[in-house]
Amino acid sequence: MTAVDADRTVWRFPRPTAAPRGDTAAPTATLDGPIAGRRIGLRHEGSWRSWLLIVDDWVGRLRAHGAEPVVLQAGGRVGIDGVRTHHDITVWADEVEAGISGLGTCGSCTSNSVRDAVTLEALGKPAVVAVCGEFLQHARNMARYLGHADLKILELPYPLEARPADELREIAEAYYPRFVDLLGGRR
Amino acid sequence: MTGSAGSGGFVEVAADPVALYELSLAEGWGDGAPLLPPTEDRLEALLGATPHDRGSVLGDVPPRFGTATVELVAVNAAMAGVEPRAFGHVLAAMQAVLEPDWNAFGLTTTTSSVCPMLIVNGPSRDVLGIDYRAGCLGGAGGRGSMTIGRAVSLCLRNIGGQRAGETSRTVFGQPARFGLCFGEWEERSPWPSLASRRGFLPSQDVVMVHGGKGTYPLADVNNDDPRDLTYAIAKSLAFPLNNWYLELTGDSGQLVLLVNPMWARRLGEAFPRVEDFQQALWDDAWQPAQLFRPLNRAVLDEKGRIDAGGRVRLASRPDQFVPVVCGGLGGLHGVALTTFVQSEMQSVAVPPS
Repeated sequence: MTAVDADRTVWRFPRPTAAPRGDTAAPTATLDGPIAGRRIGLRHEGSWRSWLLIVDDWVGRLRAHGAEPVVLQAGGRVGIDGVRTHHDITVWADEVEAGISGLGTCGSCTSNSVRDAVTLEALGKPAVVAVCGEFLQHARNMARYLGHADLKILELPYPLEARPADELREIAEAYYPRFVDLLGGRR
Repeated sequence: MTGSAGSGGFVEVAADPVALYELSLAEGWGDGAPLLPPTEDRLEALLGATPHDRGSVLGDVPPRFGTATVELVAVNAAMAGVEPRAFGHVLAAMQAVLEPDWNAFGLTTTTSSVCPMLIVNGPSRDVLGIDYRAGCLGGAGGRGSMTIGRAVSLCLRNIGGQRAGETSRTVFGQPARFGLCFGEWEERSPWPSLASRRGFLPSQDVVMVHGGKGTYPLADVNNDDPRDLTYAIAKSLAFPLNNWYLELTGDSGQLVLLVNPMWARRLGEAFPRVEDFQQALWDDAWQPAQLFRPLNRAVLDEKGRIDAGGRVRLASRPDQFVPVVCGGLGGLHGVALTTFVQSEMQSVAVPPS
């Protein structure tokens, strides 16, 4: 496949890079109706206390609007933990009708949040990934490389961590409508 | 499964090392240092040194999931200067990196500085120039160490698309992201080699890939008793901002402890079985909960990391502390290759050539 010119004035060789995945974008889904009576998933990793507070706040709001929140704590990604996490996510994705996965506020946690949202979206269910602004492009990239370029993203302020609880509750309240809108739900 | 390398076509450049270097920088497939041209004769020599077909697919490499064919790995290995007789080590390392439990998906995209750290056992260490004595982590300049590690890094960059600030969110990176590959000084170890402990034969060449966050230095002249030295090492490993303390459990990951041959002799006398040394490390690799400030302590408590005795253990099991004997005979120093946690060390044997 390679050739070198006879006079060796040119080096010619296969380009050392590979084409990325992501030429196709899987379809997205929306609830297209009220959230009342629907099982809405909220996924966290147990790491980011800001996101735990927001999830906790949204659980209350979803219940107030007649939805049934289903919270998942995703654990480790390798070894026995990884097997368990994969199982838990599969069960969660089957159980809920739509959901949000977060929090993307580091590199691997953004990648994993996107991957778990993609698991949901691959089942034809409305899915959103929650990402802080600094990691927005990374989330878009990962969604594309996982074949779900149109995955819906809820952009949250950055940084979220280390903000006072009152401020986080204000953020939770402010962004809840957008979260429901991205699912295509009505309150 | 087969595929074709060079899915992006061909590169043509004037047969001039500086022109090649400049083009690699301009087009982004270099790592910032000069490269060798992967000319046809050099590529064919590499491909001829492996039983694999050039179109064989090793897997899709995160973060962009580019497909790693043997030929494409060879192109990158040739640029790194890998000798044909060392190409099997590069392929073995790439196979290890692509094992799901090494978690390349997480490791190539994280904010952490983690990278593949290659540890080599087996009879080919000397002939390939795998450094395992003085300066084995850098400075010794063995061809095998410098080129194999770099080839793997180039594969992550060029096949996987790992780019700092773009697909990789690493905050600092680290020097080892240029490539890190070293051997174990098996002949000076009081214990079975790392590869033997992982089920391989001494006659096999084996590449272990550790997801290491960095090189954490240790030094001691104050402990004459090897058990005291082990205690001091264990306490040093359990530093409060160790990645392990971020996690909900200490169940995953390994910490590789590089033990110089002088320490190894003393430690081997105290702990003839490596399992006993690992147990001793685990026994003391913890900090008292009171060491942590109240809010930090509360978080650890919420995560269930404080045991009934008020200890915050680093890891869940003794086998997660992995001693490897290497380094110079000057003694005094050790190195911890700390863990990303969400990664399990992988081992792949190099097929006989």
